[in-house]
Amino acid sequence: MARRRTSGAETEGAFSFRRFGIGLAAAALPVAAVWLALTPTYNRFLVGAGENVVHLLESPDVTGLLPSLDDRNYAYITRSDFPPARRRVTSFRVTDLHFNLVLLGTLFLAVPGVPWRRRLENLGWGLLAAVFFHLLLVLFRVEFVYATQLGAWSHDHYGPFARNFWGLGKHLLDLPLKLAFPFVMWAAFYLRRLGVGVIPTS
Amino acid sequence: MAKKTTEGEATEARERRSWGREVRFLALFVGLLAAAFTFISWTPVNDRVIEPFTAGIARASGVTLDLLGQDVEMRGTVIESPRFAVNIRNGCNGVEAMLIFLSAVLAFPAPWRSRALGLLLGVAVIQLVNLLRVVALFLTGAYFPSWFDTSHTVVWQTVVILSGVVLWIFWADRLARPRSAAPAAS
Repeated sequence: MARRRTSGAETEGAFSFRRFGIGLAAAALPVAAVWLALTPTYNRFLVGAGENVVHLLESPDVTGLLPSLDDRNYAYITRSDFPPARRRVTSFRVTDLHFNLVLLGTLFLAVPGVPWRRRLENLGWGLLAAVFFHLLLVLFRVEFVYATQLGAWSHDHYGPFARNFWGLGKHLLDLPLKLAFPFVMWAAFYLRRLGVGVIPTS
Repeated sequence: MAKKTTEGEATEARERRSWGREVRFLALFVGLLAAAFTFISWTPVNDRVIEPFTAGIARASGVTLDLLGQDVEMRGTVIESPRFAVNIRNGCNGVEAMLIFLSAVLAFPAPWRSRALGLLLGVAVIQLVNLLRVVALFLTGAYFPSWFDTSHTVVWQTVVILSGVVLWIFWADRLARPRSAAPAAS
């Protein structure tokens, strides 16, 4: 009775909110622990790959992203075309860009009635999308600093449209979309289980 | 053979229609969310609505901290005591979680009555969780300052957003649909 056949070949159980709640409670701490353990490695990857993404928008490649030696959560933005005293432009907390992975992992693993293999497969796709999203966040973080935070230099090198584009883009990506990203991915994979496909639109 | 193909095509068409609703939900959700955040970022809205709202949250948090025996004073969006001070700013006022919840409720196909109920419930629960966050963060800053950064940006942001998402899933699963529209079990 509690099982229904979905479009795929596997048979899946109906959505149960109680079981989902239990799943959330069970998944949250292990996911957070894995995220904490992998954070230094992922920070290094994001800083390295993010630098390459920033280079796609500049010629010559003057931006450098350097992991902080004092605090592994931070990275420095540097520009090789600035005078040596100002070469280190600013720093940002890399960990802040990807803590939404905890929410993503918890939501994906907590879904009841889905075979584990399918859950992990879906989580894999969600994580892959998250990596691209985080790289986009790095790009917008760096360009936001260049376009709006460097006073006269920003005004000389970025027009009004560019300043607004990078400013608003960073604001939207860094707050609402970063926080909503796990939910968007979850909904993309599991909204059907809440019956959205069978409800007549109001 | 010809009948099978027709049945297969019909199933495929049903699948496409069903995925179309999911795509519509996600597009509406992201569109509403981006529009809502752009709107509240507009200086007049920020100054006349968001800042007073944030000051109200600071006052409620200050009163709660007072009840917990903390010697706090409030100035606008700032709560301070001899041990610690915090400035409640955008990102700490629960507005983000509320707008995520609101966008998801409006994007989901449901009767307006269910949506209104969901919005009332959501705003109340999210603000309650946010009050807990501000109070807990203040106490963390006052007594465990080395944990403040992680607690501020990682732990409590995750908790507040998770509470909004879970609340929405509860609403969509239990309150949003007429019972007759529930997916058929076989």
